Amino acid sequence: MSGASSLQPASGALRSRHPGLAGNLPLWSGGVLLAAIALASLFAPLLSPYGPNDIDLRAVRLPPSADHWLGTDAVGRDLGTRVLYGGRTSLIVAGVGMIGSLTVGSFMGMLGALGSRPVRWAVERAIDIQLAFPYVLLGVAITSVIKPSVPVLILLMVLAAWAGAARIVRAIAMQERGKDYVKAAGVLGASKVRIALRHIFPSVVPSLIVLAAMQMAAMIVFEATLSFLGMGVQPPTPSWGGIMLDGKNYMTSSWWLTVLPGLAIVLTSLSLILIGDGLERRRNSARAGESEE
Amino acid sequence: MTPIFEAIGVNRTFTLRRGGKVSRIRAVQDVSLQLDRGEIVGLVGESGSGKTTLSRIMIGIERADSGEIRYQGRAVEPKKGFAALRREVQYVFQDPYNALCPTMRIGDALAEPLIIHRIAGRAERKQRVERMLSMVGLHADIARRLPRQLSGGQRQRVNLARALMLEPKVLICDEIVSGLDVSVQAQVLQLLLGLQQELDLSMLFISHDLRVIKYLSQRVYVMYRGQVVEQGATEKVFSAPSHSYTQKLLHAIPGREYPVPAGAQGRSENAGGTG
Amino acid sequence: MSDSPKPVLEVENLSVRFPSQRGEVAVVDGLSFQLRAGESLVIAGESGSGKSMACRTLLGITPDSSRVDADRLDWKGQGLLALDRAGWNALRGAEIAMIFQDPAAALNPLITVETLISDAIRQHRGGTRAEVRARTIEALSRAGFPEPEFRMKAFPGELSGGLRQRVAIALALSCEPSLIIADEATTNLDVSIQAQIVELLRFLQADLGLALIFVTHDLGLAREIGGDLMVMYAGQAVEYGRVPEVLEDPCHPYTRGLLRSAPTMASDRNTPLQPIPGTAPRPGEAAGGAPFRARCPVAMERLCERENPGWTRVSDTHRVACHRFAAEGRGGVQ
Repeated sequence: MSGASSLQPASGALRSRHPGLAGNLPLWSGGVLLAAIALASLFAPLLSPYGPNDIDLRAVRLPPSADHWLGTDAVGRDLGTRVLYGGRTSLIVAGVGMIGSLTVGSFMGMLGALGSRPVRWAVERAIDIQLAFPYVLLGVAITSVIKPSVPVLILLMVLAAWAGAARIVRAIAMQERGKDYVKAAGVLGASKVRIALRHIFPSVVPSLIVLAAMQMAAMIVFEATLSFLGMGVQPPTPSWGGIMLDGKNYMTSSWWLTVLPGLAIVLTSLSLILIGDGLERRRNSARAGESEE
Repeated sequence: MTPIFEAIGVNRTFTLRRGGKVSRIRAVQDVSLQLDRGEIVGLVGESGSGKTTLSRIMIGIERADSGEIRYQGRAVEPKKGFAALRREVQYVFQDPYNALCPTMRIGDALAEPLIIHRIAGRAERKQRVERMLSMVGLHADIARRLPRQLSGGQRQRVNLARALMLEPKVLICDEIVSGLDVSVQAQVLQLLLGLQQELDLSMLFISHDLRVIKYLSQRVYVMYRGQVVEQGATEKVFSAPSHSYTQKLLHAIPGREYPVPAGAQGRSENAGGTG
Repeated sequence: MSDSPKPVLEVENLSVRFPSQRGEVAVVDGLSFQLRAGESLVIAGESGSGKSMACRTLLGITPDSSRVDADRLDWKGQGLLALDRAGWNALRGAEIAMIFQDPAAALNPLITVETLISDAIRQHRGGTRAEVRARTIEALSRAGFPEPEFRMKAFPGELSGGLRQRVAIALALSCEPSLIIADEATTNLDVSIQAQIVELLRFLQADLGLALIFVTHDLGLAREIGGDLMVMYAGQAVEYGRVPEVLEDPCHPYTRGLLRSAPTMASDRNTPLQPIPGTAPRPGEAAGGAPFRARCPVAMERLCERENPGWTRVSDTHRVACHRFAAEGRGGVQ
């Protein structure tokens, strides 16, 4: 063969592959916001002179002031400190729940696309049923029977969210399944598991990352909802929903007890949604880059 | 001599349901085809003639309703038999853009067949990948790239390399040059001829382009509406076609009366070219 | 075919540039040609040669990021570069029509063939319902669409590839344009269908006195179409002449390389193909100097690196852009 070995690095030269962080306002503003929230929760002991459960009956339900930036609650605990420590609980619980639901969802989604016919049918029905189920009510029912705890809460979160991930994973895997490269791997003798893990799953990952941010936001809210209903994290461990539950009786007289932890929830889920948006945008522009060739 | 690979009386009917209407398409009708050792056989036909379906049946990714596939004279059992045949018979897909996993680096894609069949350790795999890359005229650097960073011609070379990693005896190529530019197509055709001789491959080459088939193959099968309508030595079939469809195909070749290009003989001075 | 009538299309020094990280890059570079009514021009080249982009300038459908320049880009004496949106809309379809490579992508799958074509006719020509319907049927039957009265209610998805391409041709013909641009219009079709479509285009061209620009990578097809042939490489025209002249007496090393690369019915393994070594340059890579120099077997060391070759006359109608040919004539490029 004559000089056929000359290389040509594709057509990438006419454009830059990624628009860069600067061009992606949602991604970096969301990222900065979330980083700030996470760091503040992590370093709560350094930021606050109080402990989360230090009761001071001389300073009950004080409005925000220089001593207590976010005020104090009904038994004189510093609200700011509790919101910071609550952030730890809420972020960890939501994170574990999110990872759990994505794991279960990916597994089910891949089964639903690549399994044998009865398996695919079973997965489809399971997704249908899951999507029609009222999870908050299930939570109420379960916690009236067994004692509410963090593991139960996480289990509920996974149950409530896996199907969303499963549907997306299944749709992408179905699309990839019919492509020649999957058949090519089969012709080379690759097993089904190998095809699923090495060939198809990597195509799912970009969408899964976007979904992770969005689900994390939903999990933050879900955790708060259940804790607020008394089914989540149990006192005295602070969590954002729990703090709001403590404050709900004083809503008219001491607004800060509910509004300020609520604000923490809003800001956190907003930051996650911004990140999800930004990731989606980046994925789309990377895709557009590929198809340009 | 028994043919190395053959299809005997293969049938396949597809049932389509569209808007309540059920239609049956007889994609492959009682087709028999033989491939002798070290031979390149052409399979010609237009879209919908059943040539791709036939080839996919022969490799076991499509199922036949009836008929038999034989390798070295022994019948291949559906499913199990084909799994055992993976190392002997390989397939190169038509579309260079879809046949490579988009997220896998070229080096990994080439090493994969070896991993699947547990051949060679890590170091030897790497060596074999490099050797195969140079065999198909690609630089070893390519191993670190992703498919989307390669041109169409490069991808088709990689596909070819991947199919050859297991050192098969039979290679089925489905329209592998039709998506390529003329100058790149010529490179790949020359490469195929070289590899075929070097590795003593038997090859089934599927194309709708009679000029390519004429160039490459010793024998040819012409398929039309699921049936083989004509077969024989390429030279004979193309110079004296007996079936009207073959005649029509030959007649439709653009620029057919056109003489051998003046340049084709004047290669003495600059044969070999420059890099 | 005579020289007397004024050309309908006059293009001089046309270029299309795109911004890139390395500054502006020309995808079409200094193209000049003319076309008279009833004549055809075949533009041949491989992917990335700029042949499609050149055609797109004639319809004003180049991408937004591109910059189109020309000393002259005139349609029937009217400058196309100065046209605004309304001007283009009046011209497209009515005067200049295009047939695309992929009929499936160019036809809206949710609109019937009849609606598609009659809408175009109504927009450009107007007329009563009955007139529009009659014109629609006429356009379809001219394009060889069988039984248009009955089958034009079909959706594009219900038709075969060949029929869809006929619909695309009917659409192009519907408003009686003076120029049809067929951009790889037969590439995805089976050979026998391709032969029919080429036959049809030639017939229409002769019958209606159309000007035709036929873009292809297949020099065999160029032979079938006839007329003038322009061979493009890396955005530039490297050889220009009557089709038989260029194919029988190719003077540019690239044209010769293309002919030696393509198998014909006369070739077999005993006369091996001689592929052009290497790969096509990326946009902008070939700028300055002869565009083909990196893959050219007869490149001249310094000259081809530095200077873009101008045209050298081969005959009254045949010219070539090659330093070697200019210096040594045919013997040099053998």
